Parts: sequence; C-alpha cells; structure tokens
Amino acid sequence: MKNVMSNKFVITLYTLPALLLILVLIYIPITLSGYYGLMDWDGIGEMKFIGLENYVTLVQDKVFWTSTWHSFQLAIFSAVSLLLYLGISLVLASKIKGSDLLRKIYLIPMLLSSVAIAQLWMKIFDPNNGMANRLLEIFGVENTPLWLADPEIALYSIFIPVIWQYAGFYILIYYAALKNVPDEVIEAAKIDGANALQIAFRIKLPLISGIFKVTIMLAVVGSLKYFDLIYVMTGGGPNGASEVMASYMYKEAFKLNNFGYGSALGFGLLVICLVMTWLTSKLTKSNDDVQF
Amino acid sequence: MSKVSTQPVTTNLSVPKTTKKSYLNKIGFGFLYLILGAFAIIQIYPLIWLVFFSLKTNQEVFGMSPFSLPQDPNWENYTRAWTSGNIGLYFFNSVWITILSVVLTTILASLVTFAVTRMHWKLSGLVLGLFLVAYMIPLHSTIIPLFNMYNNVNLIDSPVSIVLSYTTFNLPLTIMILLGFYRTFPREIEEAAVMDGCSVHRIFFQITLPMTVPVLSTTAIINMIYNWNEFVFVNTFISSDKWKTLTVGINNFVGQYLTDWGAIGATLVISIIPILLTFLFLSNKIVEGMAAGSVKG
Amino acid sequence: MLKKKAVTAALSLALMGGLVLGGCSSSSSKSEDTSKSSGDKTVVKMMHLWPEGSAKAQYTIVDDIIKTYEKEHPDIDIQTEILGNEQYKEKIKVLSASNELPDIGITWAAGYMKPFVEGNMFAPLDDIVQEDKFVAGTLDAFSVDQKPYAIPLELNIAPVYYNKEIFKKYDLEVPKTYDEFLKVVKTLSDNDVTPITVGNKDRWTGSMWYMYLADRIGGPETLNNAINRTGSFEDPALVKAAEEITKLVDMDAFVKGFNGLSNDEAKGYFMNEQAAMYIMGTWELPNYTTSPDVDQKFKDKVGYFKFPAYEGGKGNIDSFVGGPGVALFASEQSKVKDEAKQFISYLVDEWGKRSVVEAGVIPATTVDTSGSDLAQMYIDILNDLGNATNITLYADVQMSAGVADVHLNQIQALFGGQSTPKEFTKAQEEALASEK
Repeated sequence: MKNVMSNKFVITLYTLPALLLILVLIYIPITLSGYYGLMDWDGIGEMKFIGLENYVTLVQDKVFWTSTWHSFQLAIFSAVSLLLYLGISLVLASKIKGSDLLRKIYLIPMLLSSVAIAQLWMKIFDPNNGMANRLLEIFGVENTPLWLADPEIALYSIFIPVIWQYAGFYILIYYAALKNVPDEVIEAAKIDGANALQIAFRIKLPLISGIFKVTIMLAVVGSLKYFDLIYVMTGGGPNGASEVMASYMYKEAFKLNNFGYGSALGFGLLVICLVMTWLTSKLTKSNDDVQF
Repeated sequence: MSKVSTQPVTTNLSVPKTTKKSYLNKIGFGFLYLILGAFAIIQIYPLIWLVFFSLKTNQEVFGMSPFSLPQDPNWENYTRAWTSGNIGLYFFNSVWITILSVVLTTILASLVTFAVTRMHWKLSGLVLGLFLVAYMIPLHSTIIPLFNMYNNVNLIDSPVSIVLSYTTFNLPLTIMILLGFYRTFPREIEEAAVMDGCSVHRIFFQITLPMTVPVLSTTAIINMIYNWNEFVFVNTFISSDKWKTLTVGINNFVGQYLTDWGAIGATLVISIIPILLTFLFLSNKIVEGMAAGSVKG
Repeated sequence: MLKKKAVTAALSLALMGGLVLGGCSSSSSKSEDTSKSSGDKTVVKMMHLWPEGSAKAQYTIVDDIIKTYEKEHPDIDIQTEILGNEQYKEKIKVLSASNELPDIGITWAAGYMKPFVEGNMFAPLDDIVQEDKFVAGTLDAFSVDQKPYAIPLELNIAPVYYNKEIFKKYDLEVPKTYDEFLKVVKTLSDNDVTPITVGNKDRWTGSMWYMYLADRIGGPETLNNAINRTGSFEDPALVKAAEEITKLVDMDAFVKGFNGLSNDEAKGYFMNEQAAMYIMGTWELPNYTTSPDVDQKFKDKVGYFKFPAYEGGKGNIDSFVGGPGVALFASEQSKVKDEAKQFISYLVDEWGKRSVVEAGVIPATTVDTSGSDLAQMYIDILNDLGNATNITLYADVQMSAGVADVHLNQIQALFGGQSTPKEFTKAQEEALASEK
C-alpha cells in the first residue's frame, strides 16, 4: 500500500508545476528584491552597492517601527474578529430558517473591489455629511469625531472597513468547514442528548479547529502585508498616523525614489511575517492537533 | 462515479419541548434574528449604495449625504461607461483571464495539497513551507523584478503574463485553505481504494476531487473575486488596449484633474453583475457538494 | 481525465521552461522589434494621462494631432498608451527601473524630473525649444543646468474661488487685504457657514494656503531661498506664515475634518455651496465656465479673487502660487529619439493653439486670445497671468521627493495642530539641510 502512495514520479508530477511557478515568479523576484535592498537606488539611475546600510537604517527607522506596530494592531483586531465570524457561521450552518439567504447576503461585500469599498467608507466617514456622524447626531452626540482626519483615531477608523471587508471571506470558509462536519456525527450526539450549544462547542468546533488555525494564519499574515484600503483612504495619514508596513514600503519605493530602501523594507516585512507566523503557530498549537 | 443523493437530515434547533422553554426560545430567536438581520443590512447596503452612486452626477456624489437618492437618475453614466474606452473588450478579457486562472490555480493547488497530505515523502514539509512563506511575500516587492523577467521573455503586454501571475500568486492562499480541509477529510475511502489496487491518479481524480467539490467551490469563489478585482499586475504588465481588463477600464475615468465618479460607479455596477451571478451559483455548490460528499464519509 | 491533467502539467512546464530559459538567454534581442519599425513605418511610443473617459477634450486634441501628424509623415506610426494619473506615475517608476521608458512621455517639473535627468533617462530638448514662444519662467522648471529636458504643456495659477451668493447673503466684499479676509472668515464662521474648504488629505492642497501666506508675508524669494538653500526655512516670515495658518484653524476657517478629506471630496463642499471659498489651480475653471456637467446657476455664482495682500508684508497681490503642470519628455534611450523630438515640437505647437479653447487648459506657450470666444473668467485669468509679478512654483514640486514628503506631512501636522509653527519650520529646515 505504501508503494502507491509514495510513488516519486507521481509526487513530482503533482507538485512540480506549482512549485516551479512559485519559485520562478515569487522566489526569484523576492531574491532580486533583497538584492536591490543592498543598493542605493532611486529606481531611475545607476545602482550603487552599499552593503547592509539600508537594513541598518531600517532597524533604526522610527517610522518603520511605528508602522509595524500599526500593522500588528490590525493583525490582532483581525484575528479577534474571526471569533465573531465563526459565531455567525455556526448560526448560519445550523439550518435555521433563512440561513441560505442570509449567508449569501453576508458575502456580498467581499465581491466589491477596493475602489468601491474605499469610496463607500470615505462617504460614511465624512465628518459633515457622512453617515457615521449623522447617526451620532441623531443620538445627540455633539462633538462628532473627525474619523480619518483625527490622528488619534484614524488608524482605528480605518480598521473598521478593512476588517469588515473580509467578513465574507471568513464566513465563507467557516461555513464550508461546518457543512463539512458529517451529519451522522451530529445525529449521534443528538441521540446522546447533546443540545445545540454542546454540539457546537464539543463537536463542531474541535472538528474545524484545523481550518480555524489556517484562518488565523491567513488573517495575521494578510493584515501584516495589508495595503489597499489604507493607501486609498488615508494615504497613511494624517501625518503618518495610519501608516502600515506595506504602505510605508510602497511610499518609499514608488513615491519617494528610495527604491533600494523600499526593497529592504519589503524584506523586513517578510521577516516580520515569518516571525509572527511562527509565534502564531506556537500559540495555537495543541495536543489534539492533526499532525502530518 | 455514482451519485448518491440523500435528503439532508432536518435538524431544527427550536424543537419545543415544554411551553416555558419554547417561550424563552422564541425570545432568543427573535433576538438572534434581529442581530442577523441588522448584520444583513450592513452587508447588503454597499450594493444598494453602489447602484445609487452609479446614477449620480459628480456634483451629487460629493457633498450630499450618502443616504441620499440620486435626484434625477443619471443613466448617461452607463452610456458613458460603456461607450468611452473599450469596456466591452475589457469585460471579455476579464472573463476569460479570470476563468482560466481560477481553473489553473485550483487544479494545481489540489494536486499539491493531495501530494502533501495524502502521499508519503520526506520533503513534503519543506514544499509546504515554501508555499506558506510565498504567501507572506508582499506583492509590491516583486513587481519590478517580475516586469524585468517578463520583459526578457517578451511576455510584457501579453495575457500570458497576467494568467501566470494570477495563477501563481493565488496558489499559496488556495493551498492553505485546501490544506485545512484535506486534513479533516476521512482517509478511509482512499486507503480502501489503495487496497483495491487503484492508481494514484484514479484516487485523486475519482475520489478526492469529487469529495472536495465544496472546498473547491469555496476557493474558486475566493480566487475568482481576487482575479476579477486585481489591478496592479494588469496595469504594470499590459500596455495595449486589447488585453486590458475591467479594473483598468475603471481608471479610464480617473483623470489628471477631474474624475468622473458617476461613470466609475456605473462601471463598478457592470463589473459586479457577472461575479455576483457566478458567486450565487458556486455558493450553492458548497451545500450541494456537502450533501453528496457526506454520504461517503 | 488523466489526459487533461497531463496536458495541464505539460503546458505549465513548457511555460515555465520558456520563462526560465528566456530569462538567461534572449535578453539582447528583445527591444529591437518592440521599438523599431513595424512594417516599413517607424514606431514612436507615447504614454500620456488623458484617458477618453475623464479628459475627453485633451484626449481628442492629442488624438487629432497624432492623426494629422501621421498623415503628414506617412513613415511614422505613433502608438499611445493611456493611463490614469496615479497609474501613470506608478507605471513610469516600473518602466524607468527596467530602462524601458516610452519614446515620449509625460513628466512633472523640478523635483519630480530631476532624478530622471540625473539618471540620464531624459534627452535634452534645447535643440527643439523656441524659448520666445513660452511664458517667461515656465521652461526654467524643466531645465537642469540651463538645458530644458521637457517641454511644458500647461500653466496654472491658483486664485481664490468664492461663492458670490454666500458673500452677498452676509454682505461681504471681496477682501483686498488679509485683515479684510479674516473678517470675511469670521463673519462666515459666526453664521455657521464653512468659510473655506480644503482637502488636506492630499496635502499639496493645504500647502497652497501656506505658500500664499509665506509669499505675502515674506515676499516671493523667502520660500524659494529656503528651498534652494540660499536661505533658511526658519526665517521669521516663514514662521509667521505658519502662525497665521494656526490662527485660521483656530477660527474654524477650514471645513471640519479637512485632514481626512481628499481634494475631490473637499471640492464637493464648494460645488454644493456648503463652503464659501476654495483655492485651487486654474484647471478647475471648466467647472465654473464651460463644463456641461455643472449647473449654469452654480457657475454664475462663482467668482474669483487674488489672495489678499498682507499689511506690512513684502509680497504683493499680483504674485501667484502656481506653475507649469505636465510636460513632454523624450527618452534618452529611445531608438527613435529624433523622430520623437520632432513630434514633441509639433505637438506642443498645436496644443498651444487649441488647448484653451477646446479643453480649457492654459498652455505654457503664450496664448493669443483676440480671435477666440473665451469665457470671461478665462480672459480675466489670462490677463492676471499676463500682469503677474511672480509665480511661485508649488513647494512640493520644487523639492525633491523625500523633502517634499516631509513638507507635506508637516503641512498636515500644522493644520491638524500636531506641530507648532516653530516645530513645523524646524522639521523642514532639518530635512532640507540634511539632503546634500
């Protein structure tokens, strides 16, 4: 039996195409990018080799560490938000009336492109005509917040659409995972007298814990390299208050003519992602983990 | 493969046992639906907003409350969106590039995930690690080297560069999601098949793939949405009109000093329709596939 | 099924093979066929940023000019690639990093252009420029060591647009002096009308306000000298200008939440008559004159005035913030450089004849308005432009990208109250000083 499932030729045939693609189109470019990180280069003229200078600058760069901290916070918020989405998915998957329709509606925002989402939320956050403040005014709030314009809260304001944008993504995954739990198992539990909550916590959740861990990883890494909405909606401002790692990197490389430094920042981002992933996997590791 | 369809077991959570419990249950459910309904409104509102947005003039778009309806529905936005630039052509390109990339990604990712989780080999951990790390690489770090590489092989301004990039950059994410599911799928059937002397290819294509249809639909939806809305690759690698896609078409309306927001809204609405329909179709597959799959489990 | 998979695998392997091998071997043969002749025609590649959807007038003019030129020069084939503003900038970065700039493209002035010139990417255009045709000073912004490297297509100044009806309602006169201006602001804000809208998320918008105050208080040279390092950014006049900004902010002169509003959003307040005043470049004029999308009733309400004089200040009211906008460059690496230059020269000439009348864009070449049927506001602006004592180029354009970023961030911080006037000037002085 082992022979069939460890056929070297088949393994190569199955993995090589995908492997070659990522090696050529992702790993070679990132290696080159790391090499640019050793250069003083504005992306226009000649490159000048400066060794590790960019990386030394990076370690001492306050803006980099502030934006790293901002990205960390986004990662934490995103990871916590997963619990909410998991809860919603549990309800949706438990065959209550209308769950089919609700599920479809919940996934709609994820279909929208960032352009649309950014426009929508900029309208919501508009301090004078915006929906958020209109609502607050109805409830009698007088000093309505400035949202994206206030350096104290700009970062958190922008987290809302970023996290909201991914609701559909995670609900979709959790829903599929929960539907994947065989009905027989649930039936058996019912016969044993388990109630809905017990089924959810004792049976369903443990069964999808593997997928939950994957989504934590996706949320953490995805947040650390997140860029789109933040760049469009605040541009990292006001005065750097909502700068995150990826927007800072983009700005240095593509806007400020520091392509060498921008590449070094990209590499720094990768290293931080690696460390965080390792930490996350340590934190979420448990004994009942399915190992391979 | 013979399809065994079963009636999904109806498990209604609110089976009333005593009157007191049923009363409580009702309140609980009412509250639950209130929350679910509120959340549904939040989630569907953007779509409605977008339709209103697409019917407004530039002047109305800004300054007015986002609640407001367009004063005089400006259907011209749609005419303008459709006639200036080659939206029809962009649309067609978006469709085939998205479909091709989604198919390639899901097949390649399934093959890898199968090999990694079901087959026995020493380097599987390393290969998996490579895909994991690839997910962490920021896209903008790769864009200039990628441009150079494609340029060297004359793939700049060719849709091949776009399909290759989409396929590749979605592989890590797709593999990770598949991985989460493959680990929970029972292996008994496959093991039984091995005992019966099935070849690996047969096991993969006739047992594993059909069993994973729900997950494949999930990843297909995610891939489709990403590819459909992707922008950076097309903008960088494509220069002639004939290969551009809808997202780039939207930028036709972003000018040096003036942006035609109405037309952008109209283009966004046009571009969301096919993806919405496909999504609704695939989203049913998740449930159907499950019903079919669970029988074998 | 098996076959299908085998085909997929084989196909992707083949693609990969081509990619890897190609990467090593064929790098020499590529650019010949892309930028040299197709058939017997010489191909000139041009990139610009006027898509049909958002800049139809400009698009049409360029398209017309190209068609006429190709008719007159049957051996030339001009191929255009058109992108939106932001996308254009991003793509140019990628192209220049890969040494693949188009034969003809668009550039911005001074700080933006300089690295390209230093990197030997742009061809000098002194052989095709006829200096006497251009408004004095416009070529300077595109010259390095007295040689022009790009030819400007636009010239803009930034007046203060105002809503006549709102002014009338509160009995306000167009302010001639800064004190009068402050009174206008006070009256409006006392009556809960937003005096000024500014989309300071984009930062260069707030910079215009600061620049005007710096100009009126310290005269045109003070800011320029600070930037070109013959002076200091901690000059008392520049500190004073920053203090005036803080004062305006404290008076609630600017729209609520200005630091979070983009220019487009802020403009909405003016266009919807929710704010009385708005400083912006003359590229806005079509919205107040010819644009068919804007209600005529609103257009009639819009007027403009020059930024008022500051008592005791060194600047005068006829000095403007502004400058040439975009310009055309020819790539130094181009294989068809001469053809490209010839076309640029032709395009600039034709553009100058048509841009104001057809697109409402004031060209950098001198305009003869006598025969044409221009809106009154254009005629007034062109007159003011003719009588201008000075045009100060936007500060962020004068500066190199890195310093400009500090300047712009500080503008946001000053408006937002995170930087005091002293900190504001100090940060910029440090950035400027550390540059060389």
